[in-house]
Amino acid sequence: MKFYTQNGGKRPIRLSKQTRQFAYESLERKYGLDTLKTNSISLDNNENYSAFSALEKYDIAILKIAEEAPIRVCEGEKISGAATLGFAIKHAVPATYNGTPVCSSISHLTVDFETVLKEGVNSIKIKAEEAYEKYRTTEKEAFSKSCLNCIRAFEIWHRRYLDALRDLSEYKANYENLTHVPFEPAKSFYEAVQSLWFTFAFIRLCGNWPGIGRIDYLLGDYLKKDLENGTLSLNEAREILAHFFIKGCEWVNGQFIGSGDAQHYQNIVLAGIDENGIEVTNEVTYLVLDILEELGISDFPTTVRLNKNTDEKLLRRVAEVMRFGGGMLAIYNEDLIIEALVKDGYSEREARKFANDGCWEVQIPGKTFFAYYPFDALQLLQKKTLSCYAEGVDFPDFEALYSAYTSDLHAQVEEFRVKQSVKFVTDGTHNGTWIWKPQPPCTVISLFERDCIEKGLSYSEGGPVYNLISPHIGGLSDVVNSLYAIKKLVYEEKRLTLPELLRILKHNWEGEEALRQFALNRYVYYGNDNDEVDAIASRLLSDFADACASLRGRSGYAFPGGVSTFGRQLEWSSTRLAAPHGRRMGEVLAANASPTPGTDREGATAIIRSYCKADLSKLATGAALDLKLLPSSVAGEDGIQALVALMRGFVSLGGFFMQPDVVDAALLREAQAHPENYQTLSVRVSGWNARFVTLNKEWQDMVIEQNEH
Amino acid sequence: MKLRVTEIQRFCMHDGPGIRTTVFLKGCPLRCAWCHNPETQKLKSELIFYPNKCIGCAACKTSCGNGVHVWSETHLIDRVACISCGNCVENCPTSALEICGSEYTVKDVLSIVEKDRVFYSEGGGVTLSGGEPFVQGDSVIELLRACKEAGLSTAVETCGYADPCVLREAVKFVDLFLWDIKDTDDKRHKQYTGVSNKKILENLSVINELGARIRLRCILVNGVNTDKTHYKELAVIAKKINNFDRLELIPYHAYGGTKSVFLGFADSGRVEWIPTEQQIQEAKMILRSEGVNVI
Repeated sequence: MKFYTQNGGKRPIRLSKQTRQFAYESLERKYGLDTLKTNSISLDNNENYSAFSALEKYDIAILKIAEEAPIRVCEGEKISGAATLGFAIKHAVPATYNGTPVCSSISHLTVDFETVLKEGVNSIKIKAEEAYEKYRTTEKEAFSKSCLNCIRAFEIWHRRYLDALRDLSEYKANYENLTHVPFEPAKSFYEAVQSLWFTFAFIRLCGNWPGIGRIDYLLGDYLKKDLENGTLSLNEAREILAHFFIKGCEWVNGQFIGSGDAQHYQNIVLAGIDENGIEVTNEVTYLVLDILEELGISDFPTTVRLNKNTDEKLLRRVAEVMRFGGGMLAIYNEDLIIEALVKDGYSEREARKFANDGCWEVQIPGKTFFAYYPFDALQLLQKKTLSCYAEGVDFPDFEALYSAYTSDLHAQVEEFRVKQSVKFVTDGTHNGTWIWKPQPPCTVISLFERDCIEKGLSYSEGGPVYNLISPHIGGLSDVVNSLYAIKKLVYEEKRLTLPELLRILKHNWEGEEALRQFALNRYVYYGNDNDEVDAIASRLLSDFADACASLRGRSGYAFPGGVSTFGRQLEWSSTRLAAPHGRRMGEVLAANASPTPGTDREGATAIIRSYCKADLSKLATGAALDLKLLPSSVAGEDGIQALVALMRGFVSLGGFFMQPDVVDAALLREAQAHPENYQTLSVRVSGWNARFVTLNKEWQDMVIEQNEH
Repeated sequence: MKLRVTEIQRFCMHDGPGIRTTVFLKGCPLRCAWCHNPETQKLKSELIFYPNKCIGCAACKTSCGNGVHVWSETHLIDRVACISCGNCVENCPTSALEICGSEYTVKDVLSIVEKDRVFYSEGGGVTLSGGEPFVQGDSVIELLRACKEAGLSTAVETCGYADPCVLREAVKFVDLFLWDIKDTDDKRHKQYTGVSNKKILENLSVINELGARIRLRCILVNGVNTDKTHYKELAVIAKKINNFDRLELIPYHAYGGTKSVFLGFADSGRVEWIPTEQQIQEAKMILRSEGVNVI
């Protein structure tokens, strides 16, 4: 049993042999391959299926999934429940009629697990029954009835597990726990972990991919009480919690080669302050870090909320785990994020509750509809502002060019608003309230999102408290570097005119190698702490945020801005033109808010400083900075100090989100050549981790490329 | 007062505690056969040429008044004619040419060092390296004083072959000395570095008496100083230090040789000098068995 590392370090052993074996087998795809054996439940035998409404079809599907999905009890598992249908891994409700999935499913959210743990699913059932009474004979009756149907499906699935476990003496504890949870409130740590897992598993069984959110906040008090009462030891608690993480690998199957098999948006958030401003960090926080450190499970990408007062002990522990690589840990600077959310209109108490959408985009868990619109800011410059480098395009000075670009940016963001306006009834609002047209059903998710049941509206129809669509600017550093290169070459140093430059770019720098090299090498681009170019980045982000803010009140959605590429730089590379900063057509350029590959020469601190110069509190969704570190840079006690210092610096400079990864490019090349030896090796891709061998060659090359500079 | 600097490198992790900004100063009294930074040996500035970056555009030739850049199949450089004026560097599109050893004022250096102040928690700060920093004695003392006045933690990497008066003054402003002991065998020391180690060891006692915090840095060169007697002697020296931090073994690498090529010399790198993992472990084991904290 070997759990990979990037730094060759030896992982500590705290868990029992059985638990480690369970982890190893899960990572080696035992249960993932089992999940693929049954892809979906067939509804073909259902008479009159075609006559039902979309919502009724959905309910039939969920009910049948609950009744017929294979029950799986893994050997030695301490918690039970399993999402055993293969199409769920492909992001669909795993039920088919004549071979076609009946409905799409939901991701990019963290549901309200707090209510499940503290009040039990029965409290949700009561709310649903009340709502049904209230909405009977109204147009909301169908949805309210669907809520009751889906809860009944959950009960049926729960009952099937009780039946399966009842006579198995080895699983007595699992059975006992499940006689209470998740329908009743959890009374112990063990029950709470089971409740959380079982609900998560049911939601996933139905094809959805929710995040977990603040697991230490959710579970901390239960553990504290059990430890005080002496009913549970810390070691026992670690074993139980480890099974949560191991069971989270039940979809690992190595079959979907592409952008990796580990991206089911099941992110976890640790530490940070609670709604009263009290630090949450507790024993559960440290247990999670122990488990990640020992097993290297990357399927729950974990982000730690840091602030100016974060305890040294926690920071050091985070640094220790980070050093093993695999990108399992990222950090939020909650000081800035809470400020950003308050600026965006949330109350301070609400803002302090933030988690994410299962990736890294910030949201208030259990209350938020979230989607995002990505766009390539570099192509916007190339194809719109500079008209695909057509003859005759010119601007008298840099300011004229820049303001033409920002007005294109405004138009782009406005287009997003117009695009989603079809979701609303003709006049949009009724007495000031936005009214959604019917959307594809998603009742299972709606059960666990605050206000949906009471309002009688689904998750996708304005049910949640907050409804967000976040425009995501991609190619940020490349558009900034392009603008900077034009500013220097054309307007300041007057080496050539803009039309001359555009002609050269249109011909992909052909015959102009000296000029291309000059642009590539002689300017100091974003990511090197050069105030001149960083000022363009800051200004652009501010203008982008203003463009997003200008949509406020003009839609049922709010449009908080974010910065991301999520690996789209790969698909964009084939449609981008040559760029003024010395880049040819087809090159894979920058990821997220990180520098263009090959341009960062000053090291990690300069990258962080460039990124932090922008006022990131204007971007309530977030801006991701990837940071690749060599194992040798973070070796030994010196390495821990360095990582702690980097994180502290990031917080005090006003960063938003950083995903540091310790990566050895040579090791990745070795894994590319011999994937069979590196099944569990994982790397940070963006908001998710991927097992390296499940990336296709293009993705692998991109990851290696990013790490060789 | 000016300092001749080859490079200021941020985010350094191996030049003292925490995250550091390392200032590489030009000029060294030693000529170690294994030198890792040959570009820092001479005090005067030099032209560096990276042939792999050259695209043959001849912009350098056009901009040079001294006929330094010559083409005879490949791009050659007349080092004698070069006055390191930097005109060619300004015009080279690929940065294949560089002037190594620009002049900085103390203020210039500080303004760069200050940029990463926010990352200097956990004991980080500024490290002076080179070359031998104390070759530029007065300016270096002024820089160190300025760093301390600015509240920065300071470290100096030194070969120890310096004026003891300068060292006495430096002790006031240096939080950590990274003190090189290349070889404890004086005959070999003379043979491979060009100077005796006597002055270096005397100087070490001088700063030790003054209470300086000292980290020893010892290069390991396969077949030159990879013997037990040397390790035991190192342990004797380490144990005499009152305010001892730790001993770091620096395995020889051959990259310095490649750098000499860029300066117009033959590749001085010798692969056979790279110590084996076994040798490194043996050195560590012996030093540890003598009670020395070694990394």
